[in-house]
Parts: sequence; structure tokens; C-alpha cells
Amino acid sequence: MSSKMADKKARESGRLRDADKRRVIDNITRLKRQRRQIENLERDNFHDDPHANLVLVNKKLPQFSDTNDSPATKKKKKTRGDHFKQRFRKNFQTLLEEEQLSIRGGPNYLTAQVPPSEYPERKFCAVCGFPSNYTCVTCGARYCCVRCLGTHQDTRCLKWTV
Amino acid sequence: MDGKMAPVLVLDNGAYTAKVGFSTEKEPRLIPNCVMKSKAERRKTFVGNQIDECKDLSGLFYVLPFQKGYLVNWDVQRQVWDHIFSKDVLNVNFADTVAMVTEPFFNFTSIQESMNEIFFEEYQFKALQRANGSTWSAHRYSSAQQKKPLCCVVVDTGYSFTHITPYCRGKKMKDGIRRLNVGGKMLTNHLKEIISYRQLHVLDETYVMNQVKEDVCYVSSQFYRDMETAKLRGKDNTVLRDYVLPDFSQIKRGYVKPLEEMNYAGKYKGGEQIIRMANERFAVPEVLFHPSDIGIQEMGIPEAIVHAVEACPEEMHPHMYMNIILTGGNALLSGFKERVFSDLRALVPQQLEVKVHQPDHPITYAWEAGVALSNTAGFDKMLVTRQQYDEYGQNICSEKFDV
Ligand SMILES: [Zn+2]
Ligand SMILES: [Zn+2]
Repeated sequence: MSSKMADKKARESGRLRDADKRRVIDNITRLKRQRRQIENLERDNFHDDPHANLVLVNKKLPQFSDTNDSPATKKKKKTRGDHFKQRFRKNFQTLLEEEQLSIRGGPNYLTAQVPPSEYPERKFCAVCGFPSNYTCVTCGARYCCVRCLGTHQDTRCLKWTV
Repeated sequence: MDGKMAPVLVLDNGAYTAKVGFSTEKEPRLIPNCVMKSKAERRKTFVGNQIDECKDLSGLFYVLPFQKGYLVNWDVQRQVWDHIFSKDVLNVNFADTVAMVTEPFFNFTSIQESMNEIFFEEYQFKALQRANGSTWSAHRYSSAQQKKPLCCVVVDTGYSFTHITPYCRGKKMKDGIRRLNVGGKMLTNHLKEIISYRQLHVLDETYVMNQVKEDVCYVSSQFYRDMETAKLRGKDNTVLRDYVLPDFSQIKRGYVKPLEEMNYAGKYKGGEQIIRMANERFAVPEVLFHPSDIGIQEMGIPEAIVHAVEACPEEMHPHMYMNIILTGGNALLSGFKERVFSDLRALVPQQLEVKVHQPDHPITYAWEAGVALSNTAGFDKMLVTRQQYDEYGQNICSEKFDV
């Protein structure tokens, strides 16, 4: 094989590699988009706390019964402080990880989750919501007609930052 | 426990609504289990049902104690419980009162310990039972039948997720418990998302859009036919509804435009703000049946019921399919029961009978079941008293409570 040929081959496979990489990145981006969309569906609020920049009069959150009728023993107070730090400040993810760390056989939170459906996925237009037959080549979103494709390209296609 | 009956407080502690009341009451109070902030009232926050005093519910900001269905924000939970137990709502005399509280399946150990601690050490209730709401429901369902069924399956479709739990002789079949990460919150958020993209920015309007969902969404029994209908123009489009949004001055609550006042061109003289609902009406609840419609790779409810049942011994299957109970807020969507039945009928082997039971009040069914349980013989044995807790600590709770 002449060195020229080898050069050409190398360039070609380089191009192929690049093209491949582009497509792979695209897929990752698509997955990321989809994951972010699902995460959005679990949000409690989509706007900022309207009181965020107010100095609240009653800023203190409920005290763990300083006003309790029965005299709180020193021991109890200590426990409370500990718990507040250790237990009352954990988010879902932390709790879940903790739970998995403790060795436990049998059914649990993770095993209870249903698997994916065995039936084929249904496809709907990302714009109007009606059943769709086409896929946007750029981003993979579904559309049903030229009009919806236009709307999609003018609005969401590639405009969603990841 | 001593001979005379102590008052029993039943608390079905949902991630969105707490169902709570004494066992002597006919029905529970439904208290939003959250703290809310309004744009219009900058001076105060609204705890639980205090929101009834709030005149302007637009752009309501929610602080919830639950995350993905599990209790994580104890500050907020304590604010709501303090309010519920105070004289403003129930006026609980803790030292005399037995508390029954629900929690989700596979609740985390540290949450359970915190619960015990707060109920015994902070509030100092006389005694406590912690349980899964579905277990109460299963017990009540079985006791109410003339011939006590051997098995049943409780579907609890709530705010954060949906659980399907098979029971045999009152015992939950742990291997069969199934969870879909789809609930009412996801439906409302999905509705907000598509309306915001197609018509009007409503992402901030959780309160209002939740009402829209409850007022006009339904579960279709002929999905593709309804899709075709929803495309039609004018009066032929029998799916189409115009929803008048509240402005919280003239219009205090949103409502569906009466059909005879409907203008199919979508123009109204009054200038009220309208959301037009066509395929959105049934495509949104469809997520409970096909989560993959919005990219969630999970089985829908009917398929998950089969999956749950098939995880149990085969001789139980016929009994389970004949006793399916639908509870939780999403069961109120019109057409829900019919659709669960028809989908199940298509999935379950022909020779097996399928019966789906929807109680009159799917939201409060578990609470009512808790009340019923507190009246059964042997209830005392399901409790941990404060003395026992003081003596044996957390251990006696994990031994006694079947959660
Ligand atoms: Zn379209
Ligand atoms: Zn696109």
C-alpha cells in the first residue's frame, strides 16, 4: 500500500469517526433533553419564591417544642439537635443512598419500580399532540405535518439548551 | 391500655393532602399538606387550610414536605402538623389520644424513626400506629364483603406516584408491590407544560391548572377515536371545551364555558382569559396508562397490575383479579375505572374473571378504613404506647408496625 493510499484511508476513517462522534453526541443530547423534560415534570414550582427577598418577621421555622409543657430533659435537647443536623436535613437522594448501603435482602424501593412497558411506544406530535408519523432529523422530536414542523423549527428545535 | 376508649386521631398523611380527623367523625378534613406563598400577600405564608383565607391564588408558590413521595422536609411538615393539631383545626389533647398515621411503602428507616420520635417525644401521643394506607384499605374492603375475599389488589394513585399492592388474607405480598413514578403532580405539570407551549404561559399557575385538570380532563375509553374527534371543526368537535380562567376579582374560580355559550371561533366579548382544551383533555390522564407517551419508560397502571399479580403465587391470581380496588385522587378522573377494567380485561387470561371496584370516595377511602380498623377487636395490639416506647425505644416500633 502506498503512503498516499494510507493517508487517504486515514483521512476517510477520520471523517467517519467524526461523523460518528457527531451522531453519538446528538443522541446523548437528545437523552439529556428528555431527562431534563422529565425532571421538569417533578418540579414543585417553576417560578421563584415570591417572598424570597423579603425579610420575614416570623423567619424562624418551628422550634422543636421549646414550649413543650413537659420539662425537656437535657438528653432530649441533645437528641433533637443531633437529629436536626443528621436526619431532618436529608433530601430524597441521600436517604435512598443510605438505605441501599444498609444490607437488606428482599423487595425494596428500587425493586418495586415497574419495568418498561412491553407494548410499543406511541408517537405524538411535539407541537399539537396529535398522533405523528414523522421525526425531525435535527433533534428527533416528532411532528405530524408541515405546519407543525415549521412551528417546531421556529420554537423548540435545538433552542432548548442542555 | 386502660379500659375506657381513648380518642383516636386518624391521619392519612398524603404528599399533597392530609386526610385527618377523629375516628368519631363521619369524614376527614382535607388539609393541603404544604405551606403556600401568594404574590398578593407578601406579609404572610399560608399553612395547610389557611389557604382558604387567601383571595388571590394566582402564582401560588408551594413548599411541600414530601419529595418523590417521601417525607424529607420536616420543618414544613411540623408547621402543617402543628397547625392541624392546634385548636384552629382539631384541638388535640395529645396525652389522651391515640394516633394512627400512614406512610408510603418502603419508607426509609430514618424517616420512620423520625416519625416515632416526633409523635412520642415531641407531641407525646398516648399511643401510635404507623401503617401503609393501602393496608387499611385492603382490610376495610375485605371486611365489607359478604364473603370475605381471600385476596385483593389495592391501587393507590396519588400525587407523587401510584402503588399497586396485592394482599392475601390481609397481608401485603411484598414481592408483588409495584410503583409507577406517575401521579397527579406529573399530570398537572404536563398539562401546564403543553398549554404553556401551545397557548398561554401557565407554568406558575399550579393551583389554577390543577383545577383545570380536575374540571375537564378525563380518561378516554377510545383513545384514537377521541383523537380524531378532537381534530374536527365546529360543533362536530364534541371533545372541545373552553375553560374560563379565574382572575380572582370578577371570576373567583375557573369554570368550563357552557356548551350553548361556546364560540367555536374562540372569541368572547367579555375579554375573559380562555384556555382551549381539545386533545389535552384526555392526552394528559393517558400518562397513567402509557407513561412512555411523555418519555417515562414504565408500564401503565393496568399492565403494572398484571405485573404485580404475576409476582404472587398462581393460585392467588383468580382471587386477586376479582378484587381490584381503586383509591387515590386520580381515580376520580372520569372514565378511570372503566378504562382500568377494559385494559385489564384485554391483558388478563380469558378464563379469569376481572372485577374492579371503585369506592365512592377514593381520596378518603384509606382514612375511613383507618377509622374502621380502630373499631375492630384487637386494635390495641397494633399500637405502641408511649410507655412502651419510653422503655424499648425504636425497636418496639419496627417490630410491631407492619410497614
Ligand atoms: Zn402537529
Ligand atoms: Zn427538531
